[in-house]
Amino acid sequence: MRMSTAPDVEKIILNVAQIMIDELKLEDVTPETFDPQIDLIDEVGIDSMDLATVALVLRDEYAIRIDEDDYPKLTSVRLISEYISDKLADRADG
Amino acid sequence: MDALQTPLVGTNKGTPDKEWKFSEILADPQIRRRWEKVRKYFFLRESTYDMTNRCNIRCEGCYYYEGEKQFARGNMDPAAWHELMDAEKKRGITYVVLAGAEPSMVPELCEVCFRQMPLGAIATNGLKFIPAAVNYKIHISVWGNDDTSLKIRKADNMLARQVENYRHDPRAVFVYTFTRNNIAQAREVAQILAAQGCRMTFNMFSAPVGYDGSLRHSPASLGHTRQTMLDLLSQYPENMLFSAYNAVAHTHRRGLHELYGCSYPRMNPSTDIGLGRSFRQYRADLTWDRQVACCVPDTDCADCRHYAAGSAVVTARLFRHATDPDTFKAWLDYVDTYLAVWVMGYEIGKNLCKHPVAPPGHEVF
Repeated sequence: MRMSTAPDVEKIILNVAQIMIDELKLEDVTPETFDPQIDLIDEVGIDSMDLATVALVLRDEYAIRIDEDDYPKLTSVRLISEYISDKLADRADG
Repeated sequence: MDALQTPLVGTNKGTPDKEWKFSEILADPQIRRRWEKVRKYFFLRESTYDMTNRCNIRCEGCYYYEGEKQFARGNMDPAAWHELMDAEKKRGITYVVLAGAEPSMVPELCEVCFRQMPLGAIATNGLKFIPAAVNYKIHISVWGNDDTSLKIRKADNMLARQVENYRHDPRAVFVYTFTRNNIAQAREVAQILAAQGCRMTFNMFSAPVGYDGSLRHSPASLGHTRQTMLDLLSQYPENMLFSAYNAVAHTHRRGLHELYGCSYPRMNPSTDIGLGRSFRQYRADLTWDRQVACCVPDTDCADCRHYAAGSAVVTARLFRHATDPDTFKAWLDYVDTYLAVWVMGYEIGKNLCKHPVAPPGHEVF
C-alpha cells in the first residue's frame, strides 16, 4: 500500500542527485552518473552545513521536514531518497 | 525609537506567522546576497590547540588552569607541530584556534602552524605582540577596565598595553568578557577602543566546572549585560562585531546547550558528521581526549555562553532558523559576525535584523 502512494525511489534519487549537484556545485557529474551509494561524507566530502542546506531545498521540494537528529543517517543519495520516500508514504497513509 | 531599544521580553515567541519555504525566504535580494556571502565559508572545519602551559599572567576564573590539561608537558619541537598540522590537514581540518595557556609565549610554534594552515585565530591576553608573519585573527581578551584587570588578572595598565600592541592591526579583535561584576565598565572600555579605531566583540563569562565565585552570571546580570551589548552596538556600529541576535543567544537565561544543543564532542556522542566527527582539542603535549573535547574545555556546560562555542553551535543550526525571514536574518547576522571575528579578510556587513529575535522554540529571554 505504501509503495503505491509514495513516489518511486529511483525518481527521487535522480531529483536528490540534481539538488546535490546544484547546491554543492559539484562538477563533472550528472544525476544519471551520480552514484547513489557513494558515501557523501567520506567520499564526496560534504559536512553538516552542506547537508542542512540540501535539507532546506528538499523541504521545499517535498514539503517534508528532515530532522537535524537524522542527518548522521543520511550518508548517501539513496539513503536520503529512501528517507524522503518513507516520509511521503507516512504522510499519504496518515 | 531606536530599533535596538525594542522591549526585550514577549516580542517574539519564535513562532512564524506562516510556513515559509526556503526559496521564499531567499527571494528577498538582501537575504539572498548575505546567504551567498556566508555559505562560501561552510568549508571551515576547526580544531583547537593548547600551544604551551606557560602564561605571563594568572587570572581568576582562567579556563586553562582548570582540569587536567594544565599538567600536559608542552611540546616545544617545531617539527612535531609541523607534522601535527600536516596530519590535521589530511583529516580535513581547515581552521585552527591556537589557545592556552598563552600562545604569544611560543611565537615560533604559532608561525609553524600558520605556514601549514593559513586560516585560524589566536586567543591571547595581548600583552606580548605576536609577529605579523602569523596572519591569523588575534583575539585579545579584555575583562574590564584597568582597575578590574589589576584585581583579577594582576596586570598593570592592561588595556593601554593591549591597544599599544594591536592598534591598527587588521588581525586584532578585542574580546570583552562580561562577568557579573564588570558590566558597566564595558562602556568605558568601548569608548577607549572606539577612539583608537579598534574592533570589539563580546564574550560571556561561563563558569568553569565547580566554580561558584562572584564572576558567575545571575538572571539579573544577564539582562543587564544584554541591554549593555545592544546599547554599545547602537553607539559604536563601526567598531562592534556583534548583532542583536548575538546578544539574545549569549545572554539568554538558558545556556547555549539548552537553546541549541551543543555539537562539540564533549556533549555530542555522534561521530558521524560535523564537529562530533572532526573536532579535536589538543593539549600542549599534542594529545587529545574526545571525552573532554570542546572549544573551552572545563567549562560548566549548563552555564556555557562562550562566544567561541556559539560561533559553532548557533551556526550549525541553520535548518531550524530557516522558518521565516526575520529568524533567518538573525541567523545570517550571527554567522556574518562570527566570520568577521574569526576569519582574516572577511568583512562584516550591516546587520539585517536590528531587533531581538527569539531562538527557535524559545522566548526572547
